[in-house]
Amino acid sequence: MSVATQDTAIRTGRVTRTFIYVFLLVFALFYLLPFLVMVLNSLKPLEEITSGNMIALPQDWTIAPWLSAWSTAQIGVEPTGLRPYFWNSIKMVVPAVAISTVLGALNGYVLTKWRFRFDTILFGLMLFACFIPFQIVLIPMARILGELGIAGTTTGLILVHVVYGLGFSTLYFRNYYAAFPTELVRAAQIDGAGFFQIFWRILLPSSGPIIVVCVIWQFTNIWNDFLFGASFASGGAAPMTVALNNLVNSSTGVAEYNVHFAGAIMAAGPTLLVYIVAGRYFVRGLMAGSVKG
Amino acid sequence: MSPIIQGIITIIIGVGGCVAYFYFANLVLDKVIFPARGEKAGRNINRANAVRPWIFLFPAMFALGLYLVYPVVGSFMRSLYNRAGDEFIGFGNYAQLLASEDFRVAFFNNILWVIFVPAAATFLGLLSAQLTDRLKWGNIAKSLIFMPMAISFVGASLIWKFVYAQDPDIGIINAIRAALGADPLDPLQIPFWNNFFLMVILIWIQTGFAMVILSAALRGIPEETVEAAIIDGANPFQIFFKIKVPQIKSTIMVVWTTITVLVLKVFDIVYTMTGGNFDTEILPSYMMDFMFRDDGLATAVAFVIMVTVLPVMIWNIRQSRAEMR
Repeated sequence: MSVATQDTAIRTGRVTRTFIYVFLLVFALFYLLPFLVMVLNSLKPLEEITSGNMIALPQDWTIAPWLSAWSTAQIGVEPTGLRPYFWNSIKMVVPAVAISTVLGALNGYVLTKWRFRFDTILFGLMLFACFIPFQIVLIPMARILGELGIAGTTTGLILVHVVYGLGFSTLYFRNYYAAFPTELVRAAQIDGAGFFQIFWRILLPSSGPIIVVCVIWQFTNIWNDFLFGASFASGGAAPMTVALNNLVNSSTGVAEYNVHFAGAIMAAGPTLLVYIVAGRYFVRGLMAGSVKG
Repeated sequence: MSPIIQGIITIIIGVGGCVAYFYFANLVLDKVIFPARGEKAGRNINRANAVRPWIFLFPAMFALGLYLVYPVVGSFMRSLYNRAGDEFIGFGNYAQLLASEDFRVAFFNNILWVIFVPAAATFLGLLSAQLTDRLKWGNIAKSLIFMPMAISFVGASLIWKFVYAQDPDIGIINAIRAALGADPLDPLQIPFWNNFFLMVILIWIQTGFAMVILSAALRGIPEETVEAAIIDGANPFQIFFKIKVPQIKSTIMVVWTTITVLVLKVFDIVYTMTGGNFDTEILPSYMMDFMFRDDGLATAVAFVIMVTVLPVMIWNIRQSRAEMR
C-alpha cells in the first residue's frame, strides 16, 4: 500500500511539474519577448529590421539609433530628439514627488496621532483622489491652470501631480503610522515635545520603508503619466511620454523603428532603474500598505 | 544644467513653503492665540490641540476642495451647457450621446474591458504567484512578470505595435503566421476581436501587480490548513482552489476592484494603438475626441465614466478603510 501511495505522489508531482514548466515557459515568452525585441532592435541599423530579422541578434551593432532618439530625432515639427523632454520630465517628477511625499507624511501623522472629530470622513474624501477617473477633472483643471497663469507649463503639471498624488501618499503614510505605537507619541508629549519635535524625532526616523514605497509609487505614476501631460503641457513643456508618442507618430517618410525602440527604452529607463534598485523594498511596502492580514 | 537648478528651486519653494506654513501656523497657535501660560494655561493647551489638526490638514483640504470637489461639480455643470458654453441645454449633451452610434460602441467596448481585463489579470496573477512560489528561480520569474509595471502605457503600446504590425518582417504575430504559411493580416482591424488584442496589453502590464499582492497573501495562509488537506488526500488542484483561494478571497477582491478602477481610466492604450478607429473606442478615449473641441460633450462623457466608476470606487474606499481598523 505504501508503494502505491508513493507511486501516485510521484506521478502527480511529475504532471504538476511539467505543467508548471510549460506554463512558465509560455509566461516568460509572453512577458519577456516584447522586451527582448525592443532592446535588440534598438541596437540594429534600420535595414536589418526591415529586411525581416526582427528577433535575430544584430549583425551590425550600432548605437546610432540611441544617439538619434536622444538628440536629433524629429519630435513633432522640431528635430530636437527626446533630450529636452527628458529634462522636462525630470523637472516635473522630482519636485512633484518630493512635495507630495512630505505633505502625505504630515497628513498621515495628523490623521493617526492627532485624531479629531471628522478625521475618518476627511480621510475617505482624500481616498477619492486615488480612485477618481481623472477625465472628470480635466476641463475644470485646465480652466484653473489658465487662471493661475501656469497653463501649459511644467509648474502647472507639478501642481496637478502633487494634488492628485496626495491621496495615495496620505493613504500609505496613514496606514503605516496607524501601526506605530501611539504610547510613544503620548510619552513624548508628556516630556514636553512639540508637534514637530514628535514628528521629526520619533516618527520620521522609523519611516524609511514607507518613504521608499511612496517615492517609488509617485515617481512611477508621475513619470509614466500621459493623460495630464497630453492635456496640460503642450509643445516645448511636454513630458517624456508625450514626446515619445510624438516621436512615433511624427516620423515623416520611413518609420525608424530602431529609433522608436531606443526612445521607448529611454522613456522607461528611469522607472526601470528605480525598480531594479529599490524594487524589493517597494514590493514589501506595497504589501504592507495595501494588504493587511 | 539649468533644469536641475530650476528643479531644486521648485523643490525648495514647494517643500519649504509647506514646512514654513506648518511651522509658523503652529507657532502662532501656541504662542499667540492659545498661549500655554497664565491662569487659563490648561484650557488653552486643550483648545490648541483641538484646533491643531485642522491647521495641518488645511492645505490638503484646500487642495481637495479646489481640485476635486470643484472639478466634479464644475464638470457636471459644464456638461449641461452647449458647445460654446453660453447656453443651458439641460441634458441635451447626454441625449446626443445616447443617440450616437459611436458612444454606444464605446460604452459596449468599455463593458468588455471592465469584464475581461480585471478577470484575466487577477487570474494570471494568481496563477503565476502560486507557480513561482514553488520554484527555486521563481523570484527571477517574478521580477520579469513585474517589469511591465515600470513601463508607461505609451511605451508598452509602442512595444505591442510591433507585436501586432501587419508587415511580417516587423510584426511578431505575422512573422509566426508567415512561417506557418498564412497571409499577413492586421490584428487591430479584425472587428470585435481587436478589442481583445488591445486588452492583452493592459493585462500584460497589470499581471505583475496582481501577482505581487496575491503572492504575499498566499504566503500568509496558515501552513496547517494546507497540511491538513494533504493528509486528507487532496490533490494540488483541490488544495489550490478549495483551501487556498477561499482564504485569500478578500485580497483577490481588492486586486480585482483596483484593476477595475484603473481600466475605467486608461485611455493611453487605445489612443496610441488605434486612435479609437476600427470600433475599438472606449469611453476615456472617446472623451479625448471632444476635449477642447466640444467641452460640453466631453464633460458629459467624463460624467458617464464617473457614474460608472462610482460604485466600484466606493466599495474600494470602504474596503481600504475597513482594513485599517
